[in-house]
Amino acid sequence: MTKLFERRLIPADSPGAVARTTALALLAAMAVTAIFFRYYGASPIQAYFGLFHEPFGTLRGFGYSLVRAAPLALVALGTIVSWRSGFYYLGFEGCFLVGAAAAGWLSLATVPGSRLGPLPLALFLPLAILFSLTVGGLWAGLVAFLRVRLGGNEVLISLMSNYVARFFLQFLVSGPLRAPGSLPETPLLPRDTWLPFILPGTRGHAGILIAVAAALFVWALLEKLPLGYELVVTGFNPAAARYAGIEVDRRMVFAGFFAGGLGALAGMVEVLGSQHRLMDGISGNLGFVGIIVALLSRLNPLAVVPVALVYGGMSVGADAMQRRANIPSSITFILESLAVLLVLASDVLRFYKPNFSALRLFKLRASDREDSA
Amino acid sequence: MKHTLEMKNIVKHFPGVLANDRVSLTIQAGEIHALLGENGAGKSTLMQILYGFQAMDSGDIFIDGRRIHLSSTKDAIDLGIGMVHQEFMLVPTFSVVENIILGLGQGLGALLDLPKASSKTRDLSDRFGMALDPSVKVGLLPIGMQQRVEILKLLYRDARLLILDEPTSVLTSGEKDRLFAVLRELRKSGRSIVIVTHKLSEIMELADRVTVMRDGRVLGTKSIQSTSQQELAQLMVGREVNPHAVKPERRSGEPVLRIEELCVNDEGGVEKVHAVSLEVCAGEIFGIAGVDGNGQSELAEAILHLRTIRSGRVFLAGTDVTRTSVAQHRAKGISYVPADRRGVGSVAEMTVADNVVLGLQQRYTRGPFRSVREARSSAHRLAERFGIRGAGIDSVAGKLSGGNLQKLILGREITSGASLLIVDQPTRGLDVGAVESIWKELLRAREQGTAVLLISAEMEELLNLADRIAVLFNGRIMRVFDAPFVSVDQMGLLMAGIASPPGSASVPFQESQRDETF
Repeated sequence: MTKLFERRLIPADSPGAVARTTALALLAAMAVTAIFFRYYGASPIQAYFGLFHEPFGTLRGFGYSLVRAAPLALVALGTIVSWRSGFYYLGFEGCFLVGAAAAGWLSLATVPGSRLGPLPLALFLPLAILFSLTVGGLWAGLVAFLRVRLGGNEVLISLMSNYVARFFLQFLVSGPLRAPGSLPETPLLPRDTWLPFILPGTRGHAGILIAVAAALFVWALLEKLPLGYELVVTGFNPAAARYAGIEVDRRMVFAGFFAGGLGALAGMVEVLGSQHRLMDGISGNLGFVGIIVALLSRLNPLAVVPVALVYGGMSVGADAMQRRANIPSSITFILESLAVLLVLASDVLRFYKPNFSALRLFKLRASDREDSA
Repeated sequence: MKHTLEMKNIVKHFPGVLANDRVSLTIQAGEIHALLGENGAGKSTLMQILYGFQAMDSGDIFIDGRRIHLSSTKDAIDLGIGMVHQEFMLVPTFSVVENIILGLGQGLGALLDLPKASSKTRDLSDRFGMALDPSVKVGLLPIGMQQRVEILKLLYRDARLLILDEPTSVLTSGEKDRLFAVLRELRKSGRSIVIVTHKLSEIMELADRVTVMRDGRVLGTKSIQSTSQQELAQLMVGREVNPHAVKPERRSGEPVLRIEELCVNDEGGVEKVHAVSLEVCAGEIFGIAGVDGNGQSELAEAILHLRTIRSGRVFLAGTDVTRTSVAQHRAKGISYVPADRRGVGSVAEMTVADNVVLGLQQRYTRGPFRSVREARSSAHRLAERFGIRGAGIDSVAGKLSGGNLQKLILGREITSGASLLIVDQPTRGLDVGAVESIWKELLRAREQGTAVLLISAEMEELLNLADRIAVLFNGRIMRVFDAPFVSVDQMGLLMAGIASPPGSASVPFQESQRDETF
């Protein structure tokens, strides 16, 4: 019998094919999740409308989506830089925390009357960006150094280092930086150091602009600069990279440093833009969710901000949905997880091509049978 | 019991390559049969078909005249055919007996019957003089003993035909002697052994018969008494279909590359290149002949500083470049076409245009940015000049066939304007058309005054292209010839490590003869 699908030796890799299979995967994820909506007696169409109306149909909700999207996008960009360079770093949770701690500390140091004294935002912000970037860069760069010098496994070391960062932050907020009071947290950061709000009447802050700028920068680095080319070659094929005169070890340490810096910026954005104080648990797993955003973006830096907006927006919509329709917001987790799994699994589809002539034959035969019946 | 294995008219295609072209091979009961050939001659493919790892496209396999079907390695071992790989497939933390029964499902239901398996292992080991203790952890055994575990694994499964792939490549000479003793014991017990190798002396010492393969075909099977190392060397490296190159008169120029007493180790600390000195001049092709694995690739890598130099010095146009980085070498004008096209010379996942930039990424720039347009126009130019077909410049390089990929790499390296071009096995596995166009380009580079270091195991290639030829054996230069004054016989002997030819059987190529060829 003629096969309806023929197997390809090399997967179709045109942007169109990728978009088609990704769309198919997302539709499948939504279809499966629809079953859960039915279980709670909700119409899936209304539920999906509710899920997307709040974050993208209302100004207030959109502001919240921007707040959620900014750190996600920055972590995702860090993931892209490191993974495409062949450095499989998973320590963005830690980078986030050390970045948040660095920014928080710097901000508190500018309280009127303290060491740095009050700084105008135009001076403070570049300083904060530089400081967080460096601290996060050293944090992740150390892991890269351990890998290239001593052959350490970056996956294990970076995962473990997340705990070190978490306990370090706990120490800071319950010790040296603790505000007088009962909770282990710092005092509110001076208002002058907050990221400006960019959407009047919402919580939307300038963090998203930092994320957009970072996305453009990462795209330019990987696609337009010789350094980025060297990073990508290193990631694909270290032997070819060495042959091409690329210093593989140095590139990998650079990738680790820069990726860690981006992760730290995510922490900075969250603490200066949204939380306005340091506390335990400030990351809320953003360091891991950001990796998922990178995967959904298929490690393409230009896709990161839109994907982060959708992903962040969905969590905003889920909260609203729970408030209004009493559907548990965890259904959104199911939707998100299914989307990740199916999008990644959809790669296998690109190995097959539908055999339309066989399809036609199939139909013909079916109609023949009907005719004779 | 008679136990003859026959393979008849085996054909196996891989994309772009005819790996086995109507190959026939007969292995008698109780013989040690050597399968000889260069890398890529098709011997591995043939053996993979025989132990059920690859399916053949067409052909028949018979045991004692009965046709057999092999669709998996399990089928093969059920029929008594087993393979000892070059890379051992053992679990280091398991004991000898555990490794041996791994995958057999031997025992009482769900429980293993290790004592029984141990005693059978011990019996077999004693019978063939292997001296293996079944209870020792395999990871603690030296390499030679681990190899015996692999052999024992097959004997335990009652293999009648054992295939050994390059069995001596990892062994010390003492271990080698013990292996040969074991193999002779096995022969005495009526088992057949195929050893896949390119070491001529070992074949003469051990085998009963030898089959020579080349370019996917069998050139012949000889009994050891009726052949000599010299004849085998010639059969192995002599190309039958000869593309010919027209080589203009040599115009010797200034020395470009000078190497003094170079010593290089491999990753395991074994010396691969020993005190090699040579000089390559502008406008000359300097050939390095040798059977694979005699230090050629290590030599090339060391020149480019891809491999650490233990001692000795490398000069490029008079400047000492022994300690400078790969990038600096490239900037100073060394190009290199590595033997491993897919693993080293290109990045399969990147586009053809991106691969054109590989190694020259600091040159294809406009201001601080990559010049994608320039890369693309270079890719177009290369595709046209070298006839690269099979994939557009925006599709991934992994889609290219071996020949087209090689043209891309060679084109990139030749057009980079280097003063020294190192090419390692440039035509291995390519069809005659691709060989011819690559030869043409190498000669063109020579015409333009490039110094070319050509590493090749193809004698015909060296005789056609090179001005001078050095024969490398065991990391040492055996001799350097001016190309017109060397014969295939002489080179064959030297490549086999025989320094002084017995008698004067070898007659140098005469000038007149050579002129006719071109």
